Amino acid sequence: MKKYTVLLFIVFFAWSCSDNGPSGPNPDDFDREAILVNWGDNIIVPSFTDLSEATAQLHTSAETFSASPTLQNLETLRGSWESAYLAFQHVSMFEMGEAMQLRYRDNLNIYPTDTTEIKQNITEGGYDLELPSLNNSQGFPALDYLIHGLSENDTEIVSYYTTNSDAQNYRTYLTDLTLRIDTLTDQVLDSWTSGYRDEFVNNSGNGANSSLDMMVNDYIYYYEKHLRAGKIGIPAGVFSGSPLSSHVEAYYSEGFSKALFNEALSASINFFNGTHFEGEADGQSLDDYLDYLNTMKDGADLTSIINNQFQDAKNEAQALNDNFAAQVETDNNLMLGTYDELQRNVVNMKVDMLQALNINVDYVDADGD
Amino acid sequence: MKLRNILLLPVLALAVIACDNSNEPSIDAPATYEFTRNGESTVSFTGQTTRIKMATELASAMLDFDNSTEELLLEMYRNEAADGGNADPFQNPDLNDATKNIKGKVAASTDYFASNTQVSAEIKNEFESWISAQVNEVFPNENSLATEGEPGQIADGSSTRYVNGKGFEYNQLVGKSLIGALMTDQMLNNYLSTSVLDAGTNREDNNEGTLAEGSNYTTMEHKWDEAYGYLFGTATDLANPIPTVGDDDGFLNKYLGRVDGDDDFSGIAQEVFDAFKLGRAAIVAGAYDVREEQAQIIRERISTMIAVRAVYYLQSGKAALEQTNPEYGTAFHDLSEAYGFIYSLKFSRVPNSDSPYLSMQEIDNMLAQLEANNGLWDIETSVLDEMSETIADQFDFTIEQAAN
Repeated sequence: MKKYTVLLFIVFFAWSCSDNGPSGPNPDDFDREAILVNWGDNIIVPSFTDLSEATAQLHTSAETFSASPTLQNLETLRGSWESAYLAFQHVSMFEMGEAMQLRYRDNLNIYPTDTTEIKQNITEGGYDLELPSLNNSQGFPALDYLIHGLSENDTEIVSYYTTNSDAQNYRTYLTDLTLRIDTLTDQVLDSWTSGYRDEFVNNSGNGANSSLDMMVNDYIYYYEKHLRAGKIGIPAGVFSGSPLSSHVEAYYSEGFSKALFNEALSASINFFNGTHFEGEADGQSLDDYLDYLNTMKDGADLTSIINNQFQDAKNEAQALNDNFAAQVETDNNLMLGTYDELQRNVVNMKVDMLQALNINVDYVDADGD
Repeated sequence: MKLRNILLLPVLALAVIACDNSNEPSIDAPATYEFTRNGESTVSFTGQTTRIKMATELASAMLDFDNSTEELLLEMYRNEAADGGNADPFQNPDLNDATKNIKGKVAASTDYFASNTQVSAEIKNEFESWISAQVNEVFPNENSLATEGEPGQIADGSSTRYVNGKGFEYNQLVGKSLIGALMTDQMLNNYLSTSVLDAGTNREDNNEGTLAEGSNYTTMEHKWDEAYGYLFGTATDLANPIPTVGDDDGFLNKYLGRVDGDDDFSGIAQEVFDAFKLGRAAIVAGAYDVREEQAQIIRERISTMIAVRAVYYLQSGKAALEQTNPEYGTAFHDLSEAYGFIYSLKFSRVPNSDSPYLSMQEIDNMLAQLEANNGLWDIETSVLDEMSETIADQFDFTIEQAAN
């Protein structure tokens, strides 16, 4: 009886092997380092460099407004905040090395922000922005509240920094936040330019601790949790059952959430294709790796499937209101539609791409308690 | 492999047929946990529901830095003031009116503690020492970063955890250890025990339908229901709790749901529920052998569930510590939960025996290993593996099955 079982096994095995034809290209033969060089030199470092300039400008604008809180300086500050927030969308996915140590993303972009805690910090002073419990009262979302959300009326917003009894504390808190964003960004950039870039590129093997495996995991994690869920799914109520309009990114700006989403989606697409930061040039990336391996899914080329799906998500999102909170409240179906399009690429990348590249997922959904 | 299984089928079928001539009375368990007498329900477990709610408030109050005091938290544990006078520590006024409390039922089962009151008192007091330490060690350091030897806060992903100098969260120690010391001990070693179910004239009364004074149930029926209440006492539908299992409290119910959600153990919640139903129906029918079999099934499943979670959290903590940049906050949170589940194993029960799966001494040794030196700050991951193995060895599951 046993012998038959074994025989049957061998037959099956031989059959399934021959079915695939001659064995395809070996992932190990591909030049991974070329991808890492392109990511490091043409995407990651230029993105952080650009952000670092934007956060320096943001801090300067905050200091100017703080020294002279006028309507005009408020407008300038808002402009700097928008530029820096957009630039941040290009680096949010790179939570590794120094950024991971600092918990960079959690310091800069947890939303919804905790307005009660912000007010408490301002009135009481003595806050330590390094505390994890204060992550949700700093960064871009806290600034959003401070420059857009204190009142419906701009003149009244300015009054918090001029005639309010805590005006000095408001001014201090504002510049403390912009300084911290700028300092943390410089720390991450410095680490990349003073050694980490080489470490990243040289770690070009395969296996769970190789740069490629870690970066791809970080990328998909970002796409799944921060882009798909954070920007669209959570406010649309995908996980809670009912929509949560106050959970959109840049809630108090009343109109900037879509711009941030579009920027983040573009950055994700560029990363997949190796497109240079603020350039047209297309360097080595995951698309080339998949092409090299002739990766197919349901008879079609996986790279094209992923890129078409990115395009579908982009197209679906075009109809969304600039203000996602308004979108959620008026026609949440469009948000859900965008979520569904984004979700399809989670499957394409997390299942099909990782299988082809022989990379294991290194994160699991947290226990939640 | 398949072929062999197919050939085995007739043999299995024969075996099943052969087994069928047992002469046990057949008991029809109802579809839901509903039992009536003269058209009125005979099911009652309000005291258990009350204690689950008290424990829920206590666990969350341990993290209420702005409003909780040591006095208040201890009053929640005892439901009385330090001088023995009346106290109203709970938000829910019904709990303040209740004459029940948590402390009195901690490590208080007939089988394990009736003649072991010294250990019972030690365990009861251990909870008080954790509660006090939360206020005295952790509260003053709410706004400082935890470091080796220093209490404070530490990031766990985007959550913030508050730990003592050794990295333990006292609120997790209390919450997860209560699963064993309160709910499991009362269920497995008290209300499901023959010493309690058959105490005094319970059998005679049950056979003759003699009801407990002022009630519509026999004492034996009621004892069984009280065991049920520690698991399903806050269920959305008290008679049909499986659809929401895991969502109804932060204690036994929650983790039975969690383990049931693991493919390696799916069905365990239904099995426990079925055993409760059948055992209760057996009491109504006077079929005490069937009742006894169901009690053993529940003991085995609930003990296993606690052990699975202990291993699960030991392995999660290990994984977090083995990251390139060790995720200390995540590990501390997992290992604080592991501590509580290991502690809870003291109250597990090997079916058809009088003992837990691991002795109190073995468990205390493991806990001491976690606490040694700088505690979780310098724990070796090999130690976490050894503990996982020690636990899994006593049960019918592997570390891998528990960890995923």
